[in-house]
Amino acid sequence: MTATITNPLRVGLRQERVIAPQCLVIFGASGDLTHRKLVPALFELFKQRRLPSEFALLGCARRPWSDDDFRGKMAEALAAKIEEEPQAWDQFSSKLFYEPVDLQAPEDVVRLGGRLDQIDQQCATHGNRTFYLSVSPKFYGSGCRALADAGLLKDPKRSRVVIEKPFGRDYGSAQALNRIVQSCGQENQIFRIDHYLGKETVQNILVLRFANTIFEPIWNRNYISSIQITAAETVGVEERAGYYETSGALRDMVQNHLTQMLAITAMEPPGRFDPEAIRNEKAKVLQAARLANELEPWNCCVRGQYGPGGSQTTPLAGYRQEPGVDPNSTTETYVAMKLFIDNWRWQGVPFYVRTGKRLAKRLSEVVLTFREAPVHLFDAANGGPTSNQLILRIQPDEGADFRFEVKSPGSGMRSRPVDMEFSYDESFGEPSDEGYVRLLADAMLSDPTLFTRSDEVEAAWRLYTPLLELIEDSPWQLPIHPYESRTWGPAAADALLARDGLLWRRP
Amino acid sequence: MSPQLTLQTPLELAPAEVPTYLEQLWAPDQQGSTGTGANTFCLLIWQPAWAEQQLVRSGRLSGPITGQQSDGLVAAGRQAVVDADLAVSTPPLDGEVIAAVATFQGSEAAEDLRGQYIDPALSALQPRRLITLAPTIDDGKGLETMVAAYCPLPEEGGGTTACGDVVVLRGGHHALHEGMAILEPLLPPSMPSWVWWNGFLDEAPALMEQLASAPRRLIIDTAVGHPRHCLDLLSKRVESGQAVNDLNWLRLRSWHETLAMVFDPPHRRDALSHIVQLDIDVEGHHPAQGLLLTAWIADRLQWELLSSNAVEDGIAARFRRPDGAEVAFHLMSVPVGQPSVHAGQLVGLRMISQPDNGKGVCVILCAESGGCMRLEGGGMANLELLEEVVPVKHTTPEMDVARLLGGGHDSTNPLLASAAPLAARLLA
Repeated sequence: MTATITNPLRVGLRQERVIAPQCLVIFGASGDLTHRKLVPALFELFKQRRLPSEFALLGCARRPWSDDDFRGKMAEALAAKIEEEPQAWDQFSSKLFYEPVDLQAPEDVVRLGGRLDQIDQQCATHGNRTFYLSVSPKFYGSGCRALADAGLLKDPKRSRVVIEKPFGRDYGSAQALNRIVQSCGQENQIFRIDHYLGKETVQNILVLRFANTIFEPIWNRNYISSIQITAAETVGVEERAGYYETSGALRDMVQNHLTQMLAITAMEPPGRFDPEAIRNEKAKVLQAARLANELEPWNCCVRGQYGPGGSQTTPLAGYRQEPGVDPNSTTETYVAMKLFIDNWRWQGVPFYVRTGKRLAKRLSEVVLTFREAPVHLFDAANGGPTSNQLILRIQPDEGADFRFEVKSPGSGMRSRPVDMEFSYDESFGEPSDEGYVRLLADAMLSDPTLFTRSDEVEAAWRLYTPLLELIEDSPWQLPIHPYESRTWGPAAADALLARDGLLWRRP
Repeated sequence: MSPQLTLQTPLELAPAEVPTYLEQLWAPDQQGSTGTGANTFCLLIWQPAWAEQQLVRSGRLSGPITGQQSDGLVAAGRQAVVDADLAVSTPPLDGEVIAAVATFQGSEAAEDLRGQYIDPALSALQPRRLITLAPTIDDGKGLETMVAAYCPLPEEGGGTTACGDVVVLRGGHHALHEGMAILEPLLPPSMPSWVWWNGFLDEAPALMEQLASAPRRLIIDTAVGHPRHCLDLLSKRVESGQAVNDLNWLRLRSWHETLAMVFDPPHRRDALSHIVQLDIDVEGHHPAQGLLLTAWIADRLQWELLSSNAVEDGIAARFRRPDGAEVAFHLMSVPVGQPSVHAGQLVGLRMISQPDNGKGVCVILCAESGGCMRLEGGGMANLELLEEVVPVKHTTPEMDVARLLGGGHDSTNPLLASAAPLAARLLA
């Protein structure tokens, strides 16, 4: 007999929190995110029986679709998943509705209110609503205002707004957007989503740090010499050129995902596992973070852009040759930088952050490098002893490695590094949910723990303000270094670490 | 945190006046600016506290009578086990202990505050109404009905407080029966109602029938009462479709979790298909919890029950696995020096698997509070041995009930629903 796919003794043991009856309204329902991420995540929640029976999903966009059109489009997009469980889809799709709505047209939003009342009657959703703004960022403010003006946000306990990234383009615009959304509802109604926080392995950093006594005492400047945070992608810009040209790697990845990983890695222990306690600590650590050289940012930051690469059989186009990209584009597809956190725990410890497209491997990880032993007693197989490293693998191959020195077998006393490995796959053998599954459930549960608060977002933008200003005002001071596709980025990024006698980890 | 006493001294009213009084109390024009009637749930508690009443009467415990499971109560119960010369493995609040203490001399009186002490874990959930039925050991005592409003103070101050009320019906058995008439209007159908039977499950079947009918949700403890009656009651209520929660099942959560954890690594899962033997040790002579765990395992692994017999030291049964092979099961009652407050708590579990590859696996789980030398002994030299220690959490029934209520368990846990009928059959 073959091994069972799922652990039968695990089934049903997880005590999930109960989502209250409600209607989830997605604006931008004809867009990519809806059929690629949101509806699959909701279908997953439905299959896990975590959605209440009194649930409805109302898709809204400008296209003049009917309920059946919307159901058909979603069925098309989720065909592979539906094939596995067609009955479940039949039940789930009966909860899908559609209303053509232009958020900029007040009469549309008023009509939406009527449709929601109707759905409340039909599906017993009790006027409890979560509004998901999966629309162009320029409509976040006006969208919130339209909902507020139509009275759809007036009950803070029964209405929530989820806002996708990017939240603002810089510190000033983020502040302005915060002012608008906070005038439309209370802060506890606003859920600024960062799907990295929905990842099991990112949340595991909190558990690893605060559920074990062995890590926290050494999680500071006394024992850690540097930290590297990497989010590498192998894909190029794909179909997102329009958006990417206006954002670049700094806005698309660093300000949100990498900064959230940095905050969770570096924050102080919260007093309790409570949304505000956690978000307070994250905000505090971001407020203490700064570029390593704010006066001369070009000395602590490297920008790059992928050029052609690949092999003769599968050549890869460079960024400037991608459809929709300006042939003279100076948008960065790679960025590496050095940061410091000015607090008691991290003073003097460099944080190196890098992200890029078309790099050699797809991976996200946090690497903590510990200080070297003060005296080297033994010969080392690698020339010198390797510093201990704790590697937290966010994706893929989720898990953690701890690298330390042991005695190399044989006569003599030579040391060599070995890895002690924890793998989610080997330990649990069950795929973890997509980030959106967790985050959609949390938003519907009104649990903001894994969402970013206004002060966190602003602190994150403020952190990169010197860089953004430099790119805006004198981009030549932060030139774009080309790099070959499917390599580890420009040589200048290696030089950034070489100046400190370090190397990027080559996973 | 110690239990909270209602801020207001309860008002003694004639039973017939109670519904009207409460209706007026929460009438819109009566509500103050800082407190409103919580729109949450009602909890009706059958709170006999026989052991506490007898221990106080006999002077072995000082009052007041609160109905809470305090350390002092448990210690007095343990001392009574010694004084009454009962077996040392007798749980301190067991029926045998109550019967023995009832024969002790004494007529100490103490204030009876049952229903007025509210555990913080419960008050944090802001129940709209807590109704306590408090039978007295003096069966001839007349009916007293008391009412008090209370507003849990919000943590960290500020905010609007959602208030509730407590209603206490106290008296002898007959007097309480008379008071039943006022209960119906006190449990509005617009709000979920829970009935917590915090006594022996077989002590007043007619009353339970009257109080705990669907759609009210029932909370019981299958460790309290005759095992046969406990498991039959659980099984019947589950089969009737009523939402039932069992505190004895809830206390199995670390056993469920630890056993599942053993088989989380994919390379161990094959062993689950090849189990040949399952042994479970429980404290004393109350097999309900052990059988519920066994029934859960059997249900999850799709074993079919072939036979079950009472044997000298417990219960022996045979199951058939989906591949046709048989599994031998033995539940053994083991004496313990310091028994748990709850009868029949698990001491250990051993599961032996013989996969086709010849690499046998033996899984042993032991309660943190005791050893499992019997399960660790003999016959396992050629098996891969996996041993885990199951943490034993000491929680009061009030905390367990609060956990249930807070989790919004408005239907029977599906795992319990599947396991309960099989556990009852195992006892046959």
